[in-house]
Amino acid sequence: MTTHSPQDITRLLLAWGEGDESALAALTPLVYRELRRRAHRYMSGEREGHTLQTTALVNEAYLRLVGSQKVRWQNRAHFFAVSAELMRRILVDFARSRGYQKRGGAARHVELDEAAVVAEDRGAEMVALDEGLKALAELDPRQARVVELRYFGGLADAEIAEVLKVSVGTVRRDWTLARAWLNRELTHQ
Amino acid sequence: MTPERYHKIGELFHEALELEADERALFLHRECTGDAELRREVESLLRSHEEGGGVIDQPALSVAAELFAEDSNGQVVGQTLAGRYRALALLGAGGMGRVYLAEDAELGRRVALKFLPEHLTHDAEQVRRFRQEARAASALNHPNIITVYGIVEEGGTSVIASEYIEGETLRERLSRGALPPAEALDIAVQIASALRAAHEAGIVHRDIKPENVMLRPDGYVKVLDFGIAKLAPQRTAEDNGQNGSTVKTTPGLIMGTDRYMSPEQARGQEVDARADVWSLGCVLYEMLAGTPPFTGETTSDVVAAVLKTEPTPLAHVTRSTPVELQRIVLKCLEKDREERYRSAEELLADLRRVQKRLEAGRAGGAGPSAGRRFAVRVALLIALTLCAGSLGLYLYKARSAPPVGDKKSIAVLPLRPIGAARRDEIYEVGIADSLINRLSSAGGLVVRPLSATRKYADINQDPIAAGREQQVDYVLASNYQLAGGKIRVTSELLNVASGEIVETYKSGEKETGNVFATQDQIAVEVGTLLLTRFNFKQNNPTKTRGTDNEEAYRLYLQGVYFNDKRFPEDGLKAVEFFEQAVRLDPNYARAWAGVAFSHRSLSDIGADVDIHEQHRISMEAVKKALELDPNLSEAYNALCMNKLNYEYDVSGAESACRRAIELDPNSPLAHNTYARLLFSSQSRRFDEAIAEIKTAIDLDPTSIYHQIVYMFALTIARRYDEAAQQLERLAQRNPQRAVGYYWIVGGVALQGKQSEDFERLMRFQRLSNVDEETVRIFETAYQTAGWQGVLREQAKWSYRFNRSPYFTACIYAQAGDKDKALEYLEKTYQRREHWMAYLQVDPRFDSLRGDPRYDALVKRLRL
Repeated sequence: MTTHSPQDITRLLLAWGEGDESALAALTPLVYRELRRRAHRYMSGEREGHTLQTTALVNEAYLRLVGSQKVRWQNRAHFFAVSAELMRRILVDFARSRGYQKRGGAARHVELDEAAVVAEDRGAEMVALDEGLKALAELDPRQARVVELRYFGGLADAEIAEVLKVSVGTVRRDWTLARAWLNRELTHQ
Repeated sequence: MTPERYHKIGELFHEALELEADERALFLHRECTGDAELRREVESLLRSHEEGGGVIDQPALSVAAELFAEDSNGQVVGQTLAGRYRALALLGAGGMGRVYLAEDAELGRRVALKFLPEHLTHDAEQVRRFRQEARAASALNHPNIITVYGIVEEGGTSVIASEYIEGETLRERLSRGALPPAEALDIAVQIASALRAAHEAGIVHRDIKPENVMLRPDGYVKVLDFGIAKLAPQRTAEDNGQNGSTVKTTPGLIMGTDRYMSPEQARGQEVDARADVWSLGCVLYEMLAGTPPFTGETTSDVVAAVLKTEPTPLAHVTRSTPVELQRIVLKCLEKDREERYRSAEELLADLRRVQKRLEAGRAGGAGPSAGRRFAVRVALLIALTLCAGSLGLYLYKARSAPPVGDKKSIAVLPLRPIGAARRDEIYEVGIADSLINRLSSAGGLVVRPLSATRKYADINQDPIAAGREQQVDYVLASNYQLAGGKIRVTSELLNVASGEIVETYKSGEKETGNVFATQDQIAVEVGTLLLTRFNFKQNNPTKTRGTDNEEAYRLYLQGVYFNDKRFPEDGLKAVEFFEQAVRLDPNYARAWAGVAFSHRSLSDIGADVDIHEQHRISMEAVKKALELDPNLSEAYNALCMNKLNYEYDVSGAESACRRAIELDPNSPLAHNTYARLLFSSQSRRFDEAIAEIKTAIDLDPTSIYHQIVYMFALTIARRYDEAAQQLERLAQRNPQRAVGYYWIVGGVALQGKQSEDFERLMRFQRLSNVDEETVRIFETAYQTAGWQGVLREQAKWSYRFNRSPYFTACIYAQAGDKDKALEYLEKTYQRREHWMAYLQVDPRFDSLRGDPRYDALVKRLRL
């Protein structure tokens, strides 16, 4: 965060959250840089306790925002929801831009003995997860949202319940089924 | 798939999750009638739910971190550090820093450079202690401890230069699933050996976890990161309290270490060698089970589990872990460290003992070197797991020559899935069942029954070990892959002695639309290939599946599975599955035979049922089965058991038994039943009986049931020394039940060697972990009243522990209390127990013979 203030980020997030697609283009490099800085610290073992969550990244911005500027967010939950979607976009685009491809259809034709030792690849997993989520959204949009909020947004069940305006029990059920379905689809295509 | 369909699947998934695992099958059967695809979907989701381990089970940020890390590793690679180490490539990065492969220009060797995270190296005193300990551990010069060459300062942080180890971490290995017990044991022994050396030098590792264990391809295990735990911020008791509530709300991010941390570490207390014992216990558990013993969604959940929860017993998670090894793990994982092994040395001694025993079992087959070469070539067999193999050795092996002349024997293993989530038992067990029927029909092969080989339905199955345990010449091991409505199967015929692949068969892609057609097609293709290989002529299978109803067949397989367990609650489940099967397909003869057999067995295995009613139902089912298929061996076997065990009609039983064997000479159960008939009161053909039961053992060497009947037969035949030997073998194989086996043969004390027998009883009580108080009672009884005293004590609790009154009668008869003996024999008769068939030949009742009340009882039996 050298050239842009957290306020910039929040402003852009706000704009994007309200439908301004052009804000995303300006937002991505900023968040990406921050993400990378944190990821680097994470990799070098600087754990920062539990603040390593994605939420922390967003939370900080949120607190600064609410504390100083009185920007009109619908609510805190809305902010998280937008952040989770952003996180997903950034990670998936990053993976895609590095040429990671979903293992996908090809694996079906692999010889049996080779299939047992499929190399797992983080980037490919990210791309596959994104596609899995799209497929899930066709079957049950809310379940896909739960996964996005929990996995990419790092939100707790209660927070997800608040965002989606459903009970915590529903969130947990959605997550349990969606997780089983995605794990199956991703692992054994 | 439509959203509606998905929701339907989701509803069933959630409902099934609420049920116990064994209730799910029935529930799904009920809910998915007529829609096998629906059932497969729900089942595969349930499996996926239980397995987990996909990308979304890790926090997104850790995935992001690994992605981004790749972009930023250019900073070190290519540079030379401390004037001599040139970094060549990034090997990996984790919580404790990044590791690079480097070349040591001075000595021309490859080294590993580990950059410690900066924030850990601020405290000079901590760094000093870390260096001291890392050097001290390295100086031990132990083959299982990584050698540290030096620690240099670079750019404000410490860099450790150490031996470069080619291979993978145990964490990487575990990502492919659990390890076979023998391999897990080998790794644990090497870690314990490293820890023993360290503990003796006063060094505690404090951070034993799969990430810190390297596996070299040559089998050596190296423990890394001694001393590094000294750098980590010490957790204090207060920390946990403060963070507890915050941490709970942040799911997903669990640092690996917490899972292996001992309760005393979690509480921030001082640690000693016993903390390493705990952590190694966790690692060993994870190697065997595939998952760590203490888990949770958040750090505080994990910590709570470490402090309070007992891990799921290994026996529930994996069927292949030897009992002694389970005990060792439990002892490592005692919450109270006073209850644990005091040091790695004690632990190592116990691990080695088990290892030795397993290796003793291995010696029975081909040399380990042949096995190893095979293992390397067939990548699926990573190492030999011979725990199972060793069991067979302790048991009675009927003949040294192959059974039934020079026939070759073969075990057909259940198919192993490639990819755990898409599994379907109907292929795993079903194709094996079809193959067994097909191969049995050739007449030239001795084929192990499904009941013997079904237990190898395990992703980690080791075919050669299974082959040794089954004492066969060949194993047919297959795997299958389900994808997009297609199945592919690969089968390998393995020579057990040499470990070589004799024949490989690959099916093309086959449609899974019609399960049975697919199953039969594969069975015919593989069967033809094998029978041709052995120059056997092909016959049409005498035993066939017998139903066209997929669901009924599934239920039948479930019934057979529970039937083989021979415990009362399992017997009741078997009954239910068979009955469901015949309800779906009333013309399913094999399932009717299952109904007959399972109802017949309920009282034999100790279920509390109305025996007369059971007999009636069983006989009706026999009749039904034989109407449908007059050549069904299983039905004749059930008939024979009814005649012998309930009606005490020996001649009627004999013709049924002979017919059962004639129809299926490979059926171990038919030979078992015939053996029991032969040594019963009326027949008294002891030598024939023992030959028959030996044949049953030859056909199914692993079944403990045949081994027990063999022991009983030897007792009845008054071959006491052999009976005692067999008793010892059984006790070794299954120590928990040693005392139970002991009293089946009433202590064999009939030969007057009472002191020897008392010594055995005491030994078995210890083996079976009988409580101290009981042991003391028996000791006192023996000291004050001799063997009579022991019998009186035994008589007191024998009946209370719900064993058959027949045994209580045996004990009273030996103790000379005729009144009581006859009283309990009367009870046995009232319950129509099968034991009455042996009344006149059982040596323990010798004292009753000639008593008019005994004669009257015999008369009522019409024996």
